[in-house]
Amino acid sequence: MTGGALLAAAALALAAAAAPTAAADPPAGGAPRVLCGVCHPDVRVEFEQGVHAGEGFDCTSCHGGNAAAATIEAAHRAPFRGTPKRRDIPALCAGCHADLAKMTPYNIPADQYALYLTSQHGRRLAKGDESVAVCTDCHGVHDIRREDDPKSSVFARNVPTTCGRCHGAPPPGSPDGAPPVEGSPFADYQVGVHGQAFLAQANGAAPTCASCHGSHGAAPPGIGDVDKVCGHCHATARAYYREGPHARALREGTGPECAHCHGNHRIAPADIALLDTACAACHEPGSEMVKVAGGMKALIAGARDEIGRARAAVDRAAAIPLYVEDYQARLEEAHTSLVQASPVVHALDVRQVEPLTERARGIAKEVESEINGKMGERWWRRVGLLLFWFYLGLTLAVLFLIRRRALEGDPR
Amino acid sequence: MAPADPTPADPTPARRSLAAWLEARFNLTEMLAFLASFGVFPAELDTTRPFREALHDAWRRPLPSYARWPRVLGLLSFLLFLFLVTTGALLAFYYQPTESEAYRAGTAIVRDVTFGWFIHQMHRWSARLLLVILAVRLWRFFFQGTYKAPREAVWMAAVVTFLAATQADLTGRLLTWTTTGYWTTVRALEVIHALPVVGPTLMFLAGGTTPDSLFLTRFYVLHIAMLPGALLLLFYLHFNGVRRVGLSHAETEGRARGETARVQMINMIILAALVFGGLVTLVTLAPTPFEPAADPALTPQGMRPPWYLLAPHAIIEMTPSMLPRWAGGLVVETILLLILVLPFLDTSAGRSLRDRRIAVAAGIVVLAFWLVLTWHGYALEVRR
Repeated sequence: MTGGALLAAAALALAAAAAPTAAADPPAGGAPRVLCGVCHPDVRVEFEQGVHAGEGFDCTSCHGGNAAAATIEAAHRAPFRGTPKRRDIPALCAGCHADLAKMTPYNIPADQYALYLTSQHGRRLAKGDESVAVCTDCHGVHDIRREDDPKSSVFARNVPTTCGRCHGAPPPGSPDGAPPVEGSPFADYQVGVHGQAFLAQANGAAPTCASCHGSHGAAPPGIGDVDKVCGHCHATARAYYREGPHARALREGTGPECAHCHGNHRIAPADIALLDTACAACHEPGSEMVKVAGGMKALIAGARDEIGRARAAVDRAAAIPLYVEDYQARLEEAHTSLVQASPVVHALDVRQVEPLTERARGIAKEVESEINGKMGERWWRRVGLLLFWFYLGLTLAVLFLIRRRALEGDPR
Repeated sequence: MAPADPTPADPTPARRSLAAWLEARFNLTEMLAFLASFGVFPAELDTTRPFREALHDAWRRPLPSYARWPRVLGLLSFLLFLFLVTTGALLAFYYQPTESEAYRAGTAIVRDVTFGWFIHQMHRWSARLLLVILAVRLWRFFFQGTYKAPREAVWMAAVVTFLAATQADLTGRLLTWTTTGYWTTVRALEVIHALPVVGPTLMFLAGGTTPDSLFLTRFYVLHIAMLPGALLLLFYLHFNGVRRVGLSHAETEGRARGETARVQMINMIILAALVFGGLVTLVTLAPTPFEPAADPALTPQGMRPPWYLLAPHAIIEMTPSMLPRWAGGLVVETILLLILVLPFLDTSAGRSLRDRRIAVAAGIVVLAFWLVLTWHGYALEVRR
């Protein structure tokens, strides 16, 4: 023990040399002396990078003990908590973060602890399962940073990776950079459209885990709630879904929701191919429902192909170049109608889809035929070329005739 | 020659033609003689005599040695130059040389103006053919030994004509402000910038290294005024020189067919008609597609300098990285200088291939290298 005390005294002397004013005259009533960093220098460095450091907190705020004490024994004397137990951490943080008076000046909501208690994480922790996430698993321990700090683990860009640390983490002992476990939510999210948009295309508007599950109150949406969650962004699709037979079936008992056809984490791109695969998963081939799906698919595919053909014609004409700005604008209109048709599909009613796809197809067909009419000008250019060579040939013939006469008439 | 010479009877007051009226007020003979200095009129004229007399006389004179088949490349290049001036003037009626308007004006010309596409394509195809013909002409001069005394100046004029024509082509490419036009210019400027002394000087005169609005204006002035003027002067020097010293080899060819200047004039008209026909056919069947507007902030892939700069581009790109870029440029400049002063380097006795084996061998090596480097310069951008 004397050895330990000596060591501490030596460290103290070093610290005193580094910061003579702080050590020489203890502040009288000012900021208290915090000597924990003498023995825990790396923790102190971490802590000072975090958001709590500048806000009048020190180690004792969470760990207890006496920060100003010069010996280990005195520093670690009661009420010293040491490393808080995992099950105690949420309540510890809530000591401040559930206090409305303390949080309001920072404009931070004070209901996070209450939300946490309702989440899967919180409910399982209450049952004694300590493997679930507590505050520090997502926010970090000593260097807790602001949510809008790009280095923060809860900064929007980092959310999928942070959740993925548990929900798809490679098994212990895997090499660094090992891919997430196949079939885990994180692995599925990465290949789904949302993950592709957010991670690969850096589209900040695409959803992360927290967009659908919430953060502190993280929970999977319950039955009957999925369309509400997806409907945050896909409001039109939701409105048509609620009109359709699937939603009616759900209201009466069981029926498919968004995830049944589109998947949850591994969300497939909204493509008309889904009308083949997703419907056949539940409905018999040849049934009325499969026929409806086929009808809608044919309408959309027909309009899409027609727009593609018209667009190719416009591109050909633009390269000549012909005046195509009007046609481009009309094709945009056609494309808008086609885009409008995709959410309408969720009502599962061919009669609602048809007017939109027909409009798109009609405009595209009109554009294509008008362009082809204009392209006829190229044909006329060739006719003009033939005529030109006819007259040029005549001219050349006359010239050769004159030349021969000039040669013959040459007095030499 | 018994029949009475009708010439003295011609200027009778009874036949008061327009030509006679003009003749009394202008020296038409001298005007025509001036045209002869561009190879357009094939005969020598006695400028001291009245127009009709001089013409009448010239028509019947046997053809001077320099105005005969197959030496039409010079005439052909001048004809194309005339096409370019004519179509260029028509294009200039609608074109606006500013960054914001250039592309819009170009689109309007090829799309909205009646036969604007035709004029534009004629201009493009004439420019392409002109460059090819000027290059072929140089090689013909080389292999026929046309550069030897007393034709050193003719050779140097031909070399400088080719260089000036490439610059006219380069400045014209930027004017469309299309993607390819813009980025080809950027890549070409990279090559030119690597030429020591010459490159930075030209860039200084153009006012920078990046094509912007003022750069476009300067290219426009170069393209429509200074370079055509320089070309005209060079054509004049070339034909004037040829008229003075005569074409090489001509003396060794028999004058089997008694062609007169009149027949030659008809030949020229036939040639012009055929060139025009060829151009119209190319324009109608192989028009260059119109491209989207240039975006200076977005470099498309695979953009390379124009074909005549591909070999210099390859040389500069192949310069080892431990050497400065201008080292490659210096090589290019040296080669150009050697080509220009070739008549003074090759001191062999005769003009025939056998008489100047070293020069011909060197020429073949240079041609082979040029072709290989051009291919390499092209492939460089494919790989990128």
